[in-house]
Amino acid sequence: MDTSLMSSPGVMMLFGLSPILALGLGGLLLMLAEAFGRPVVAHALEAQAIGAQPAGPEGQIVDAGAGRAAELALGAAVILFAGAIFSVALWLVGPENVTATERVAPYLLIDRFSVFFSFVVCLGGGIAALLAGGYLPEHRIERGEFFPLLVFCTLGAQALAAAGDLLSLFVALETMSLGVYCLVGLRRTSVRASEAALKYFLLGSFAAALMLFGAALLYGATGRTDLAGIGEAIAGLSGDGLEGRAAQILIALALLIVGLAFKVGAVPFHMWTPDAYEGAPTPTTGFMAVAVKTAAVAVLLRVLLVVFADERLGSWGTGWPPVLATIAVLSMFIANFIAGRQESVKRMLAYSSIAHAGYVFIGVVATSRSVDAQASVLFYLLTYTVSTLGAFGALILAGRYRAEAVSYEDLAGFGRRHPAAALAFSFFLISLAGVPPTAGFFGKLYVFKAAIQGELYWLVVLGLINSVIGAYYYLKVLVFMYMREPKPGAPFATPMRSGYVATALVIAACFVLGLGILPDTALEAAVAAVLGG
Amino acid sequence: MQLSTSFLAQVTPVEPSPVQAALTQLFPADNFVLLGVILALPLIGAFVNGVFGKRLGREAVTLMALSAVGLSFVASLVAFFMVSSARVGDELVRFQWTAWEWFRLSTAGDFSQTPLNVAFSLDALSAVMILVITGIGSLIHLYSSKYMEEDPGYYRFFTYLNLFIFSMLVLVLGDSLPILFVGWEGVGLCSYLLIGFWFDKSENASAGKKAFITNRIGDFGLLVAMGLLLYFVGALDWSGIESNKEALLAPVKLWPIGNEVPLARILPEDAGKWLNQPRYVSGATLVGLFLFLGCAGKSAQIPLYVWLPDAMAGPTPVSALIHAATMVTAGVYLMCRMAGVFVLSPTAMFVVALVGGFTALFAATIALVQNDIKKVLAYSTVSQLGYMFLGVGVGAFVAGFFHVLTHAFFKACLFLGAGSVIHAMHARIHDTDQSQDMRYMGGLRKFMPVTFLTFAAAWAAIVGFPLTSGFFSKDEILLKANTSFVAGTSVAQGDFTWPAWGHWVLWGLGAAAAILTAFYMTRLFIGIFFGEFRGWTIVRGYQAAVHGHADAGHGGHDDHADEHGHAHEQPGPDMQGPTPHESPWQMTLPLVVLGILSLAGGFLSAHLFHVHPLDDFLGPVFGDAVQRVKLIKGHETRTIPLVAFAVVAFLVGSLVAYWIYLQAKGEPARKLAAQFPRLHSLLIDKWRVDELYEETIIGAVDSLADMCVWFDKWVVDGILARLTTAIISLSGTALRQLQTGRLQTYAAAMVVGLAGVGWFLLTPRAAAHTSADHSSGRYEITAAPGFGYGYRWDSDGDGQWDAEDFGEQRTIAFSLQTEETRTIRLEVRNAFGRTAEREFTFSRPKPDKSGYVAAATGVGAENLKNAHEGVGMKQ
Repeated sequence: MDTSLMSSPGVMMLFGLSPILALGLGGLLLMLAEAFGRPVVAHALEAQAIGAQPAGPEGQIVDAGAGRAAELALGAAVILFAGAIFSVALWLVGPENVTATERVAPYLLIDRFSVFFSFVVCLGGGIAALLAGGYLPEHRIERGEFFPLLVFCTLGAQALAAAGDLLSLFVALETMSLGVYCLVGLRRTSVRASEAALKYFLLGSFAAALMLFGAALLYGATGRTDLAGIGEAIAGLSGDGLEGRAAQILIALALLIVGLAFKVGAVPFHMWTPDAYEGAPTPTTGFMAVAVKTAAVAVLLRVLLVVFADERLGSWGTGWPPVLATIAVLSMFIANFIAGRQESVKRMLAYSSIAHAGYVFIGVVATSRSVDAQASVLFYLLTYTVSTLGAFGALILAGRYRAEAVSYEDLAGFGRRHPAAALAFSFFLISLAGVPPTAGFFGKLYVFKAAIQGELYWLVVLGLINSVIGAYYYLKVLVFMYMREPKPGAPFATPMRSGYVATALVIAACFVLGLGILPDTALEAAVAAVLGG
Repeated sequence: MQLSTSFLAQVTPVEPSPVQAALTQLFPADNFVLLGVILALPLIGAFVNGVFGKRLGREAVTLMALSAVGLSFVASLVAFFMVSSARVGDELVRFQWTAWEWFRLSTAGDFSQTPLNVAFSLDALSAVMILVITGIGSLIHLYSSKYMEEDPGYYRFFTYLNLFIFSMLVLVLGDSLPILFVGWEGVGLCSYLLIGFWFDKSENASAGKKAFITNRIGDFGLLVAMGLLLYFVGALDWSGIESNKEALLAPVKLWPIGNEVPLARILPEDAGKWLNQPRYVSGATLVGLFLFLGCAGKSAQIPLYVWLPDAMAGPTPVSALIHAATMVTAGVYLMCRMAGVFVLSPTAMFVVALVGGFTALFAATIALVQNDIKKVLAYSTVSQLGYMFLGVGVGAFVAGFFHVLTHAFFKACLFLGAGSVIHAMHARIHDTDQSQDMRYMGGLRKFMPVTFLTFAAAWAAIVGFPLTSGFFSKDEILLKANTSFVAGTSVAQGDFTWPAWGHWVLWGLGAAAAILTAFYMTRLFIGIFFGEFRGWTIVRGYQAAVHGHADAGHGGHDDHADEHGHAHEQPGPDMQGPTPHESPWQMTLPLVVLGILSLAGGFLSAHLFHVHPLDDFLGPVFGDAVQRVKLIKGHETRTIPLVAFAVVAFLVGSLVAYWIYLQAKGEPARKLAAQFPRLHSLLIDKWRVDELYEETIIGAVDSLADMCVWFDKWVVDGILARLTTAIISLSGTALRQLQTGRLQTYAAAMVVGLAGVGWFLLTPRAAAHTSADHSSGRYEITAAPGFGYGYRWDSDGDGQWDAEDFGEQRTIAFSLQTEETRTIRLEVRNAFGRTAEREFTFSRPKPDKSGYVAAATGVGAENLKNAHEGVGMKQ
């Protein structure tokens, strides 16, 4: 890059914000394209023209005025992958060298931590966009607004990971959440989807209110809104200054943990998850399971390690670590037990994502005692993102219009009939189960290693037990795919044909295998990305 | 002769030509990338054909496969001449190339780590091997391009074949045992794939499995040997083993395990003493025997030879390349490579020689009565491999390796000739067994002159016709078996010296096998090419009306028996067919080349005429090892009688066969068979060794498997799996009840969660960390930090708080007298004004012995600290 250009603060500012700007501008362009693009009156009218019954996936009237999703999907994927590439470029230059971005601090902190998360959520969003490009047309829900919304949600997730101020944090959180509510309810004609969206929205508002309340208490106690400032103020409190404010801060801590645990989907704040995940179109489910969760963990890390970094708050007797440890254990056990009892694979994956939140929380807990823990959480989120999206993608691939693969029974004999698709599915599932040489194995390995380093042996033992329980239901899919034949007359899954979905799966598989065989580069990046590292 | 003189010119150091100089600059000895080229070409061939072969079409596949191996051969030639020209004096030339660093192993001896690199090296031994592999490989590729022409799996065949060449090169070029092992397994895999190439016939598939499983037993030996080497020597690469091999002379106690045998107590005293007597072997013997187990598996020696005859289920070119010329000699190569280790153990060497000799004789007896021409050749291969082991076993490494070379020439030629014959038989007989049965052949020399002549050349070599290649190599082995032995080492305990009768036994086995070889090969030769044609009645201008492929339809020669729908037609005079035809040039050219080599190759090491370039060339490789190989007294006088005997053996064997099968039309043989029906059927059934294995080893494994199945079914599945599943399902079902789908429930759960978190943060906790040092009497309590917490202590145990107000002091330290007990109280108050209290009771015990010792010497005082955390603590 030209030196004069490098020295220009404006250019450097643009460069520093390029991952976020790419998504923002791209999202706007997508909206324009969607609004002014050639409107395609979809299948409903076509169907009427040939005299067929205009019926949608579940027998409802098909949405008239739906747009053509495939082109927009490509656009959205390009924008999101561009965001990921900008993140990589910024990473290579080094955000600490781009000092111009200090002007947006503390509202947006462009550090290695946020750039890492920017990459992960953009990658997740991009894969989700590709999945949607195959899924939405196949299932006749070609609503063009899906893609701008997806892009803006990812933008919210990026900003959330970068937020260094309570205000920007809340705005980013809502940017992300509001979009996701819409994405969940995209299938307007489906009662189930609307119910899911409404449940998610109401409970989400509840959680947001709690968080906002917590933020207000923090501001009241310290008079600051930037996270670092609050952290300093808390650390400085002692003696008389502490009296009275300590209670406010502790309540704020509880409220913030609850609000963020809701977004992560950890037990007992998880109950919306299965319903919302199941009602949402599968690409949305995948996006929620990865990007939303990832961003929420990012902000949780930042809040805990910057605001509540004080020794007295991170204490093992009285601070947040035991709270999160309890949440982690509950999440793992409850989610895994229920997941084992599901008949629907999609719902099983929803519970599985709750269990994974538990594993992530083990790493988060370990941050109070182990230096490697943060990096392990970051790495875990990366591996989890690609494995989960791959699994949802494979589930999408296994279904067709009016024959979406949902239950285990649908998948019986799938391995015989469609070996390639089944192989892809198995591959992502064993990554989720944590079997080498896949990404999931190293993700779990590093989290557990960090916990062992932090002497949290009991937590590791519980985590390992849960890995075994988890293997039970992941492998159950394999059992159905390879060792069962469909019952006579029962419906069975036939895979759809879509270049988008195939591309998404290939990308995810490359990551899963690449991280499984050569985890070093990504792990080094995660180590470099830690807060305060 | 021509070949050997030009070869000699290369060996003597001359002024390097500009080409040589340029090559040396391009490929320095420590980074000899040319090996990468040699290795990569067949791998690329395998990849391209494997991935794109289906779409490429026959010509492209042929071009790819042939050029890959051919170019690899050219590169090998260059490498070979570089090795031969780089040599100065008796120095060992070794070109090395490290592809990448693989991993490190920690050895048992010291904690330094042994690096394991993916490294390859080339010395005289491997230079000769790669010439054989790529050279004969190229010829056989060319041959196969015609032989396999009609096969639907054409591209698959060449993929495997190229992959085989690659694996074999890895095996030979690997610079360490692990890399060799990779190649070792690779060739095993390719062999498996190619034996079962026509896997739609179940016997082929099971022959492949048999080969694979039998080889696993050998591989186990090789793995154990690697472990032992790592333990004793601490290195697995050639130079590392070579430089530190003396460590293998360390004695290893084998018996009794533990101090004594428990049984010995109840036995009479003498027997008990005898039983308890410690028995040692040297590490070298252990390593040598385990290595030999590996070699016996790959090179089909007793008791692991059973797979090789069955391996003839594969296509004939495969039999020629893998199961005669190259892969099966890997064991001999490994023995030569590890010669330095083997000669340290006279025991191991004697076992090798003895097993080799027995195998040579044993397999030859089976070959006497087989009618399937490929089976005859297969047993002959086993027998010849026995010779090689006999040779290397007596320390004649060059002679053994020379036999590898000549055997590669003549046996490949024989197999390819057999393939050519089968190809011709396929014009009318499509059944695998019948088209290979020599009872349906005969008189083919009129129809297939080239095949006949080349087969004759190879026959002359294997039966030891004077001055052919086989004559020299076999003669040299027999001579050495009679005269040389491995000297014991003075250092090693439990050493073994070769008995004086050993020479005669070893030589006797080899000599008897030589006579039998001459007999059965002549029988085969006559059976195929002489007498009347017995396959069908030849009709001029015969048209295959039924299936319209009179001449072209011999695709997949060894298979597809029933496909053409006339398997029911019995061959013999009743059947009509066209004139058997000679094979196309792609098949005869390799035959001619190999035939010439079979005849002339002997002059690479013709000691009788003092022409031995091969010995000179390989000398440095074995220079060290042969120091321990001694010749018996008066060995010079034995040379001429032994050579004379070799000629006699050839004459007796072949003339008897000539008389029986050509003069008397096989009548004496039938009479003999009738006279000794049981012996005959025993030979036909190959001494029933397969059946023996079936009953004993396989039976035992089967029952073990049955037991495991039972355990798996009832214990693992029945109890463990079902119980776990039941627990998970039950808990899941219970927990699922909470997931009502009602928003209120969800919100309530969140509220409960928030309440839980709040309750935790609201409740004060008087957690503390204590440390005690009984020896010095110092004790300390540190209360856990808490946000907004205040602390007050009762440190003197008087029931009164030290100070009424809550302060910020979190730590108190105090000392105790011996046997003093004190109760400390801690009260904390959190930000919400709630309090919690905790009591800690400390008592300093009366110092026991260990306590004083520890305190007095100052050792362990540090360790005692923190060790008594929470002693006497109660809440």
